[in-house]
Amino acid sequence: MSETITRGALLQRVSVWIGGGKSVIGPRQVKPANGSGQEVPVQYGRVASAEELLLSGDTRPANSLKEFFFPRHEKLYGYQFKGRQIELTDTEQPSTEQIIVGGRPCDAAALPVLDHLFNWDYRDETFNRRRELTTIVTIACRSFDSHCFCTSVGSSPVDARGSDVLLLAVDAERYEVRFVTEKGRRLLNGATTTANENATEPAAPPKRFEMEQLKEFLAGGYERPEWKTTTLRCLGCGACAYTCPTCHCFDIVDEGNAAGGLRARNWDACQFGLFTLHASGHNPRHNQAERQRQRIHHKFQIYPDKFGETLCTGCGNCTRNCPVGLGVLSVVEAIAAAPRENQSQK
Amino acid sequence: MQNELRQTCRRLLEEGTVQVVIGYGDGTDGQTFPTFVTRRDDVERLVWNERCYTNLATYLTRPEILALGKAAICVKACDERALVVLEKESQIDRSQLVVIGLACSTDGVKQPKCEACENRTPRWANVTIGDAAGETAKTTADRYAALQAFMQKTPDERMAYWKTELARCVKCYACRQVCPLCYCRQCIADKNRPVVISTSATLKGSFAWQITRAFHLGGRCIGCDECTRVCPAGIDLRLLNLSLARAAEENFNFRAGVDVEAEPIVGAYSERDREEFIR
Ligand code: SF4
Ligand code: SF4
Ligand code: SF4
Ligand code: SF4
Ligand code: SF4
Repeated sequence: MSETITRGALLQRVSVWIGGGKSVIGPRQVKPANGSGQEVPVQYGRVASAEELLLSGDTRPANSLKEFFFPRHEKLYGYQFKGRQIELTDTEQPSTEQIIVGGRPCDAAALPVLDHLFNWDYRDETFNRRRELTTIVTIACRSFDSHCFCTSVGSSPVDARGSDVLLLAVDAERYEVRFVTEKGRRLLNGATTTANENATEPAAPPKRFEMEQLKEFLAGGYERPEWKTTTLRCLGCGACAYTCPTCHCFDIVDEGNAAGGLRARNWDACQFGLFTLHASGHNPRHNQAERQRQRIHHKFQIYPDKFGETLCTGCGNCTRNCPVGLGVLSVVEAIAAAPRENQSQK
Repeated sequence: MQNELRQTCRRLLEEGTVQVVIGYGDGTDGQTFPTFVTRRDDVERLVWNERCYTNLATYLTRPEILALGKAAICVKACDERALVVLEKESQIDRSQLVVIGLACSTDGVKQPKCEACENRTPRWANVTIGDAAGETAKTTADRYAALQAFMQKTPDERMAYWKTELARCVKCYACRQVCPLCYCRQCIADKNRPVVISTSATLKGSFAWQITRAFHLGGRCIGCDECTRVCPAGIDLRLLNLSLARAAEENFNFRAGVDVEAEPIVGAYSERDREEFIR
């Protein structure tokens, strides 16, 4: 026995949520306001109507869900100069309820991973507030592309981590409903029916590397030549980090004039040369290979050592969005498969 | 053709004419990506097909690549124009570079730019691989067709368009990093003492960034459309580039990268320059 929901019933719920002022977010085709013929990607975004949502389970949005919890620009507080005094103004805390419909499991799975960071030495108010305000309905992926590797990092297309409800397409009209949390159950309360049919488990992408081999390389391969040879084509942009569901680096900036301004938190990325540039002019990571090495270490060694979780869900966004088809996967695949004998070679 | 390419590169490496070949390699699913061949036996990795999108000229100014030694670079006819600008701006020494021209078949690399392509065979390469049968003479109007269509809209409509588009900019700077002519070691967008361009990915910050990017490439952008291809937000940056390119062509009769003799408009001084804007 399992719960099912029809596409119609789901869309109806979505319309009610939108009508009630809730923010519904899901994969949708981005349309330029005055179409110029430029191909536009599918992205997660707030939808104005239920029909915009792409719910087939075959979409791979170019962005990730993190921006709905950790926006790319967030005002922390405002300041005004009043004579010799400085007056601070608090920013409003988020209060709109968010419902994510049609997220990919690998996007949702990144959120519990990020929870560790945002509740570590400091409990981040806005991140946690948005987590509380959000309910997540994911759809198990019905297809994968050559950049997907969830199975290599211990996940799968039916991974329910981070989701409140996981849907599996039975056919074009119906989904099997797997409730993961009470929050999810409340969200779809009354919209599902009990039926005697289960969706067939979707095919999972093949394993691309062995985590054990990768860890072994990371443990002893700091000076290995592969860091350079595999990353030579990296351009040092932020396309990988900014579309990654788990990357979370930020910069704190002040923006204003002589009268006042604001302090904000903006996304930042470790592949920019400026990221580690010291005021003295010295840069401890002075080339792209060293920046890439840092990125892979952070994801597969430093974060796991600190929080017990891999900082990667295998979503493939970093490679899919990379101008030169690199991303994390190509690097990790190459180093995990690198011959062992040069392990200590300089 | 691919064989001819590999043999040429093998010879260049064997003879020691170059130490590295900057070309295209095969990726998964038939995708290609930039690859750097330093050993002659690795020339088998090189490919030439309709998915060779990247303008490899962007690597010619990167320290990591310069460190590999004297280079041979594969360029398509559109990419080649970047070499002309880079040389005029003293960023490369053409005598220290072997240029391998790749002539496109009629379809080119199947990017929007190929529709208005005037010249599918590189003109100044040291060696040219393949031949571009059926080249069609395109007119100025063809080149600016996309811009022309866009300019039919009212200023308000255009503003609304850019607001919708730039609202998606995440400031990943992929458009800058991929550009062969954005070679500044320190970009003005990264200047933070004091900040010149807001680093925030807000509408204000993204407008400031894109306006600056377009202006810094005015009369320099060669129209390879790489910035547009790589933008993860799908923003049609080409429209901005075309607009500046047309201004250069209409006012100065100049097109970046198409004439090896012409002096760059930003770097050259002439008594005949129209200077009304400065008075
Ligand atoms: S590193 Fe790449 S594959 Fe891993 S979570 Fe980030 S974008 Fe996805
Ligand atoms: S891996 Fe790709 S997306 Fe990431 S910084 Fe390098 S070029 Fe940019
Ligand atoms: S624009 Fe012309 S030269 Fe460039 S890839 Fe297309 S067909 Fe080839
Ligand atoms: S590539 Fe696109 S998203 Fe990235 S900075 Fe440029 S315009 Fe913005
Ligand atoms: S601005 Fe864009 S089209 Fe112009 S040269 Fe740079 S990457 Fe090519």
